[in-house]
Amino acid sequence: MKIAVLVKQVPGSETALPILGNHNWIDEEQVSFVMNPPDNFAIEEALLIKERTGDGEVVIVSMGPARVQKVIREGLAKGADRGIHLEEDGQIQTDPLSIAKSISSILMDENFDLVLSGLQSDDTGMGQTGVLIGEMLGMSTGTLAMETDVQDNAIRVKRELESGWFQWVKLPLPASISIQSGLNTPRYPSLRGIMGAKKKEIKVIPPTDHQTDAISQSIDKVFVSQTSKQTEMIEGDADSTVARIIEILKSELKVL
Amino acid sequence: MSPAHFSIIEKVILSGLTLIALGSFSYEVLRRVFIVQKGLDSLPFDRFGERLFRVFREVLLHEKVIRERPFPGLMHALVFWGFLVFGLVTIDHFAIGFYKPFMSDSVHHAYSKIVIPFAVFVVFGILSLAYRRFINRPKALGKISPTSGLVAVFIVVLMGTYIYGETGLSPFVWKINWWIHSILILAFLFLIPRSKHLHLVLAPFNIFFRSFDQPDHTPVHIDLEGDEDELDAMLNDLTKLTKNQALDIFSCVECGRCTDVCPANRGGGILDPKYHFIMDLRDPLLEGKDVAVLDQINVEAGWECTTCQACTEVCPVGNHVEKSDEIRRLEVLVEGRVPQEYQKLFTNLQETGNTEGASSSPFADSFPVFTPGKEYVLWLGCFARHGLDPNFNKSVENFTKILDVAGVTYGVLAEEQCSGDPANRLGDKLTYTMLREHNMEQLYETKKVVTLCPHCAVNLGKEYGKYGSINYTVEHHTQVIGRLIDEGKIKVQMGESGKVTYHDPCNLSRMLDIVDEPRTAIKAASSNFQEMEESGRNTLCCGAGGALWWKKETQGRTHLVRAEQVIESGADTVVTGCNFCYGMMKQGLGPMTPEGRADVVVKDVADIVADNLV
Ligand code: HEM
Ligand code: HEM
Ligand code: SF4
Ligand code: SF4
Repeated sequence: MKIAVLVKQVPGSETALPILGNHNWIDEEQVSFVMNPPDNFAIEEALLIKERTGDGEVVIVSMGPARVQKVIREGLAKGADRGIHLEEDGQIQTDPLSIAKSISSILMDENFDLVLSGLQSDDTGMGQTGVLIGEMLGMSTGTLAMETDVQDNAIRVKRELESGWFQWVKLPLPASISIQSGLNTPRYPSLRGIMGAKKKEIKVIPPTDHQTDAISQSIDKVFVSQTSKQTEMIEGDADSTVARIIEILKSELKVL
Repeated sequence: MSPAHFSIIEKVILSGLTLIALGSFSYEVLRRVFIVQKGLDSLPFDRFGERLFRVFREVLLHEKVIRERPFPGLMHALVFWGFLVFGLVTIDHFAIGFYKPFMSDSVHHAYSKIVIPFAVFVVFGILSLAYRRFINRPKALGKISPTSGLVAVFIVVLMGTYIYGETGLSPFVWKINWWIHSILILAFLFLIPRSKHLHLVLAPFNIFFRSFDQPDHTPVHIDLEGDEDELDAMLNDLTKLTKNQALDIFSCVECGRCTDVCPANRGGGILDPKYHFIMDLRDPLLEGKDVAVLDQINVEAGWECTTCQACTEVCPVGNHVEKSDEIRRLEVLVEGRVPQEYQKLFTNLQETGNTEGASSSPFADSFPVFTPGKEYVLWLGCFARHGLDPNFNKSVENFTKILDVAGVTYGVLAEEQCSGDPANRLGDKLTYTMLREHNMEQLYETKKVVTLCPHCAVNLGKEYGKYGSINYTVEHHTQVIGRLIDEGKIKVQMGESGKVTYHDPCNLSRMLDIVDEPRTAIKAASSNFQEMEESGRNTLCCGAGGALWWKKETQGRTHLVRAEQVIESGADTVVTGCNFCYGMMKQGLGPMTPEGRADVVVKDVADIVADNLV
């Protein structure tokens, strides 16, 4: 079983997010980056599948500037076998379609049986990249897997539906599946793993070899939304109070 | 009493039995010594005089045995002192059998005047212990132990036969009595090393070798750029006990005092230090004939420990009981099995150098920066820097107000990172190494550090020193405040805080031995001070130690037991000397305060002093 895990490096949840002067992205100099938390579950699931099936390869794939090698190493330290880094210079790509095109152009020749990704990235939260890559590579695709069960030439996944409903689907291999957070308990890199990761290969693909010019999405403005709080004290007797509340619910909040 | 004649046959039998008993005794003891010898490090002989004095207090005077459990402790002391008195008699007893007594009749007679009362004491002592063990059966003692019963019977019969022997018997009866006595002694010798009664041999040595520091865990040197074989050897050693730890395992008398005082256990957790950290390792040691047994510790139990050292402090035979450090570092460094909330914590520490993953600290920026002319580096710690309880900011400001009034100069370090306490206690020695090395660089030219956080004080002042020499001294702010009061540099008046009590933080009292200075400060500001029942070095942990502050799901109520005691103490104000204790009290007290009673006010030592400055 040859498995690719798509990982992304995103700003840590507590980090400050200062916005650039031209308002088109955040000032990355002042941001601390971490592995996209949902991707931890995808890596763990890939390692578990490899351990269960007894052989195969887990490859960590990430796209971004040089800094993303850190999260690739993290995956290697946890036990993945090698990494692929699609290098980007200058402004990073945020459009899932362009990203998917880049990545699938590189994964094309690798012939992976499985492509796993986290359910979404904690920065832009599109949740599309894995599915798009699956389509581009002619794979079957599934999202939000809560459980996986690899069989001969197929994988069964338990998918989360709305209102507490679940669904088991059987996907023929190769398949691209996004992994729901919490389905497993991600491991922590051991010291031997960290030492071993230093010797594992990370193949760097220069920007010219994967980037496409066709950007179908661009960012107009990044801003922090302003929140404000309004409080109205409603006084008077019960009848007039109720009348005022109904009025608010009808005309201001529009819930009635 | 007649110095009876012993026939050759009798002497042969006696010799045979003595040889068997002594042989078996030596074999069993040496078997264990052999295993202890395989342990890491060496047994310490430094501070020899201090060690001997400790043996005198804790073995001969039975200080700890009695302190924690006064009645059973005293009963045990009777048995113990009786044994010492009997030593001479015993040797003489066997001398009779083999040759002739070395005590003359008159000496024997005079000595028996001392021994007979002791025989009575011993009987009284051992019967009381047996009553407790077999009738009272406190939970701490564990399962009924047949050996204990046998030993109690032995000792009673020994005493009985002794007294009977002193009453002037016919030679025939005397002889029978003599044989009963002898066989019992030899049987006792046989039993000792096979049971917890080995403690009577090992406890004095174990108390002698006990570390003066607690906690005392071997440092873990990690050099990622270094030689791979060395790293491998280091990782292999992580499963091994030190000599001192191995000796602990064989010295344990199974009294359960450690479990009695354990906050995790008292809060309803599964952690039972007597079993998880000591007894569970005994069979693996003996069966494996080797010290690589640390992986036998129950992992779940290990994560529950607050590293408060109550168990180590209380152990009457000198054990360093707590081994959460050992099991956690195995889990983190070797197995890579780390609870999710701690993985987040470690990532924060690695990426940002603080526990919260914050990229700046406006609160830290509000203080003057340290420059070489100033007296103290004011070490804030993550708790204060990143507002783990924002109320505590005021306590820090109160402390700087005290320093300002006293004219003491200070400044904060712009590049201060987490002291590494959570990583250290949770076993992530790699992250700890990164933080420690960073901070050591920041403190390179520092002479004096003061901090409000006992966890930082323990790490900066003691733990860092295990990895390399440190050129600065670390003081806790309560020490500085106590001294400023003593020297008259600040004047404090009696204030209106109602009934005041003090919660000793375990990092401060047990790890740093700071118990008097906070009291000096509090008593200067309050005339109505009352101790908690468990105080000083015998304090009970608030539940936040060992990085449990960051633990999401806590089984049990470890974090509430102490708060409950504060409520029950009837205090109006509880003062503490640790930011984590402060936070725990603030969280725990409110919901537990009974209806109609005013909330207990939580203060840091700096607060109660600053509020009452004149
Ligand atoms: C390792 C332990 C003990 C040894 C070896 C030992 C030995 C002896 C010996 C040898 C005697 C003989 C004395 C004599 O005939 O003059 C003796 C006597 C006595 N021992 Fe022990 N004893 C030991 C422990 C105890 C203990 C623990 C007790 C009691 C607690 C005890 C009680 C007595 C008594 C009572 C006598 C009286 C003996 C007599 O009539 O002579 N012994 N003991
Ligand atoms: C000749 C020396 C000693 C003798 C004969 C002796 C004998 C005993 C006996 C018979 C028990 C009762 C065991 C049971 O049924 O549970 C006991 C328990 C105990 N011994 Fe010793 N002991 C000796 C030395 C020491 C020393 C040196 C220490 C520590 C400094 C010590 C500490 C204890 C403790 C703490 C217990 C458990 C008591 C409890 O809390 O219930 N003993 N010992
Ligand atoms: S250190 Fe404290 S929490 Fe840990 S086992 Fe000992 S008494 Fe219990
Ligand atoms: S470790 Fe010490 S305190 Fe705990 S049961 Fe053993 S002797 Fe008692």
